[in-house]
Amino acid sequence: MITTQLYVVESADFLFLQHQLQMTPGNLSSHLSKLEEAGYVEIVKEFIERKPHTALKLTKKGRNAFKEYQHNLKQVFNGLSE
Amino acid sequence: MKETSLKEIEKKTYMSYHQDGLIDIFVGIYVLLFGLGILLLTVTDFSTWFVIPAIFPAIMIPVWISAKKRITMPRIGYVRIGSRGASKLMAVFIGLMVAGLGTFMVFTFASRTQPWASMLRDLLISNGMIIIGIAAATISSLFAYTMGLKRLYAYGLLTLVLFFTGYFVAVPFEYLLVTIGLVIIINGFVLLMRFMRKYPLTQGDKKIVEESL
Repeated sequence: MITTQLYVVESADFLFLQHQLQMTPGNLSSHLSKLEEAGYVEIVKEFIERKPHTALKLTKKGRNAFKEYQHNLKQVFNGLSE
Repeated sequence: MKETSLKEIEKKTYMSYHQDGLIDIFVGIYVLLFGLGILLLTVTDFSTWFVIPAIFPAIMIPVWISAKKRITMPRIGYVRIGSRGASKLMAVFIGLMVAGLGTFMVFTFASRTQPWASMLRDLLISNGMIIIGIAAATISSLFAYTMGLKRLYAYGLLTLVLFFTGYFVAVPFEYLLVTIGLVIIINGFVLLMRFMRKYPLTQGDKKIVEESL
């Protein structure tokens, strides 16, 4: 779900993802760490109006992996309907 | 996973950012200002036509952005929707501007030479309230469809009904604008209250979240 949410936006912060996905901070944090380790999610430290802000975005690798996952899933469902 | 479900998520993401009612409050204030401006003109002969259209880009948009940063962002976080959603909205906006300007130019040019055009112009002027009602309903429906905000359909319908009623009952234009503006503002505040109750401000949590990354 994290990758799906990040796939439809350019970037989002932790709080936004937490609300959208209704996950606890700890749970979301651990999933994000794994996704970051895999190179799917990039954590961007930026400043918005001189205040530090952490934005999360899918990397190119993450986007490609999501597309591939979507394609594979479609094939599985198409196979089931035959 | 179907393409439609991705679109649904995209729509939900976009809508979640406009559930705070701020857009309603600001659009409502703008409509109200237009109504009050005309009312002021009829009462005191003081024209605000050059001031009010400039208020939106010069004052209201920066205030709206600031309100988003102070009210919405600390509660539900920050998201960059991406260029696709913004460009769709911009396309509708530019399309409306071009269509409006094009119609105006063709009409102005034709009304000088073509008798049908001057007849049509007279017809439009005498039924101005209905034309404005239909135009407002069409514009708000277009934005409702593009932005996925269903309440904009209701505002369009309200405008259409009020302007049609105003035409037949002969209610002055400015009173209708003031009424529509007030209804939109009140609805905006109701949405804002609901939003603030649903997402209370928890600074501590946000700090923990930032540190956890």
